[in-house]
Amino acid sequence: MLRSRIIPCLLIHNKGLVKTVNFKNPKYVGDPINAVKIFNEKEVDELIVLDIDATKENRGPNLKMIKSLANECRMPFCYGGGITTVEQARKIISLGAEKVALSYSALNNISLCQEIGSIIGNQSVVVVLDVKKKKIFGGYDIYTHNGTKKSNWKLNNFISKLEEIGIGEIVINSIDNDGVMQGYDLPLIENIREKCSMPITVIGGAGSLQNIKDLISKFKIIGAAAGSLFVFKGKYKAVLISYPNREERKPIY
Amino acid sequence: MIGIIDYGSGNVQAIATIYKNLNIDYEVISDKSDLKKADKLILPGVGAFDATMQQLIDSGLRDELNDLVIRKKVPVLGICVGLQVMGFGSDEGDLPGLGWIPGRVKKFNINKIESKPKLPHMGWNTIKDIQNHSLFKGIDNEFGFYFVHSFYFECESDDNILTTSNYGINFTSAIYSDHIIGTQFHPEKSHGNGVLLFKNFAQL
Amino acid sequence: MKNTKYKVCRNCVMDTSDSKISFDDKGICDHCRTYYNDILPKWHTDEKGDKALKEIVKKIKNEGEGKDFDCLMGMSGGIDSSYLLYIMVKKYGLRPLVFHVDAGWNSQIAVNNIERLVDGLGLDLYTEVINWEEIRDLQLAFFKSGVSHIDTPQDHSFFATMYKFASKHNIKHILTGGNYSTECVRNPLEWMYYQSDSIQLKDIYKKYGTGKLKDYPVTNILWHKVFLPYFKKIKLIRPLDFFPYNKDEAMKTLVDKFGYQEYPQKHFESRFTRFYESYWLPKKFGFDTRKVQYSSLILTNQMTREDALEKLKHPAYDPKTIKQDFEYIATKLGISVKELQSYMDAPNKTYKDYKSQDNIYNIGAKVMRFLGLEKGGKR
Repeated sequence: MLRSRIIPCLLIHNKGLVKTVNFKNPKYVGDPINAVKIFNEKEVDELIVLDIDATKENRGPNLKMIKSLANECRMPFCYGGGITTVEQARKIISLGAEKVALSYSALNNISLCQEIGSIIGNQSVVVVLDVKKKKIFGGYDIYTHNGTKKSNWKLNNFISKLEEIGIGEIVINSIDNDGVMQGYDLPLIENIREKCSMPITVIGGAGSLQNIKDLISKFKIIGAAAGSLFVFKGKYKAVLISYPNREERKPIY
Repeated sequence: MIGIIDYGSGNVQAIATIYKNLNIDYEVISDKSDLKKADKLILPGVGAFDATMQQLIDSGLRDELNDLVIRKKVPVLGICVGLQVMGFGSDEGDLPGLGWIPGRVKKFNINKIESKPKLPHMGWNTIKDIQNHSLFKGIDNEFGFYFVHSFYFECESDDNILTTSNYGINFTSAIYSDHIIGTQFHPEKSHGNGVLLFKNFAQL
Repeated sequence: MKNTKYKVCRNCVMDTSDSKISFDDKGICDHCRTYYNDILPKWHTDEKGDKALKEIVKKIKNEGEGKDFDCLMGMSGGIDSSYLLYIMVKKYGLRPLVFHVDAGWNSQIAVNNIERLVDGLGLDLYTEVINWEEIRDLQLAFFKSGVSHIDTPQDHSFFATMYKFASKHNIKHILTGGNYSTECVRNPLEWMYYQSDSIQLKDIYKKYGTGKLKDYPVTNILWHKVFLPYFKKIKLIRPLDFFPYNKDEAMKTLVDKFGYQEYPQKHFESRFTRFYESYWLPKKFGFDTRKVQYSSLILTNQMTREDALEKLKHPAYDPKTIKQDFEYIATKLGISVKELQSYMDAPNKTYKDYKSQDNIYNIGAKVMRFLGLEKGGKR
């Protein structure tokens, strides 16, 4: 039977890997190529790499870097950040990535998802939604530009629209839980999952393998992504790449 | 020499890198006159059925490929949609397939599956090697392979089923007919199992 | 006396690829003589060593009372630092902060081994990540300079970072895995010049670097060899020299107790060091560091000369993977394979072609040896 995916998610800022807390204060984590190489050797299920500067700086993806990273991956590699055209998406796939992730571009122009999907296949289109709890009345807002701009789209409406179009996967990124390492926002996922017939991956908050296990126990088959968990160790948040080996993963799945 | 067919679909780069690191002679082929140089061929494929089939036709490679595989019996490994085009056609599109192995491509009918799984079938799943084929020699079956698809191949004859997998229902995850093999999963994205499969294919 | 013909030591495997080597009338080289005459008589791994180490441990524990940790231990994931960590915690009860410097070249095995040791011993880890863009540029500068000590950027950053951290947090004791048992023979200066020489580093960067070194940590021989130990009382200690240290036994212990993964060769914790020592240095300069490593093991009776000579018959690098390794190094440095090859083919230079503090090192080394504070040492 299909098993859940445990996915490291790396953020790129100024050509280096960083980790944030609540999308702020990026802490330098090191060189992307070596990190990806190590994750590949650790046989991670999948890898997500997001360039968090691209949209803010209004520039396209760094193709040279994408090619170098894809070259190190013997597992599916999803790249996101600054993709605004079908041609860019096509090029990224041809350089060796399996999936492209859209966030601001999808919210700004949802038909882009369809256009890209028609060229590279719907299964290769991923939409990443950065969400934050509303201050009052409950519910969540979608944000872009590293959590600084609120989108006009309502979360549920947007997901319904994506359902209509048909994409490969939705990644829900909790800004509130980002880097805090206290567990995923399970109610958020529960709410979305009911409305969604496509695969979901969750990111934001994983602080231990137990958090991932809890997520998978609850939702059976889901993508469990994490940044800090696989990149930091211990109370000083020492940078050290880690990922459970085959044996350690069995009880989690 | 392993010929990796580049007609605009599939992760050709990843397959090339694997053979490069294995020190096995390979070439990425996009010109039909180069196809015959290969001892074995790999047909990758990703995306919608019709789009992929059309790309294969537009590339000018289809007829030569057909000739080499059917008449000259050059071994070929199709991956994902590269497997799906080997049949008569797909529920996903209108174009006919290559017709190398009798069967059609169907969509997972979620309504008929009790567990109501999500589509696409995406992630790591295990395979059951029905034929004990040397393609899977040394493979860690529990670790499995990476899949991402919403459609699967249904063989007309059970004799062509190479492996099955389970996603709420049992479905065919690899097919074969003598020198023609197809895998629904992506060995080029399945870590050590995949590398081993490519190595085994080269040595078949 | 300068050797023009090929000659190899009768006792160890150092040979005339070390152009400064000298032999006595028995055919024994000066590395061996230094070991027998200068190092061995003063190297105590018996009760004397045990007593001395216990004194040091006592001091460390006193210093560290009430603090989160009592000393700093540099950890690369390599066998020496890993075994040291294990012994100092389990046998001597120290509470170190494990310090790791990530210069961007960590191998998966190293990272895994660090994790296993730290988790297995229940310790705290601190890592310092060197700014990759800067060290990359510095690394390229060293390639362009044509010198043989191109691993300096990594090495220099390790020590600079550790010293700076210790100085900042006033940690009096830094423990490292350096040891006579596997390192009594040192790499000749001609092969690997002092990595701590910041004048040389800065001169090479000035001539071939493209930006500025803002975050990259630079140390200074006078600062860390004189100021820190004598004025701030921050001492570097090599505990592995105080008791019998056998590499094979150490490896077995680590594998059994922690699931430690073996490395194919010394220094393979870093992908760069592996490439540098197994391929670049022998291919470009004819310097094979295995001769130094094996000679040390021969002198300390952990390897036979026959075994060493047999191993040296084969290249240090794996011919099956060298092409991929070469490409990886080039890709990571952001250059083409052709460009990297051009540095390989360029004329060889030495540390003397650039500014250096080698006169200070010479004086310093003489003083240290005179005072009996250092045995052996580089030449």
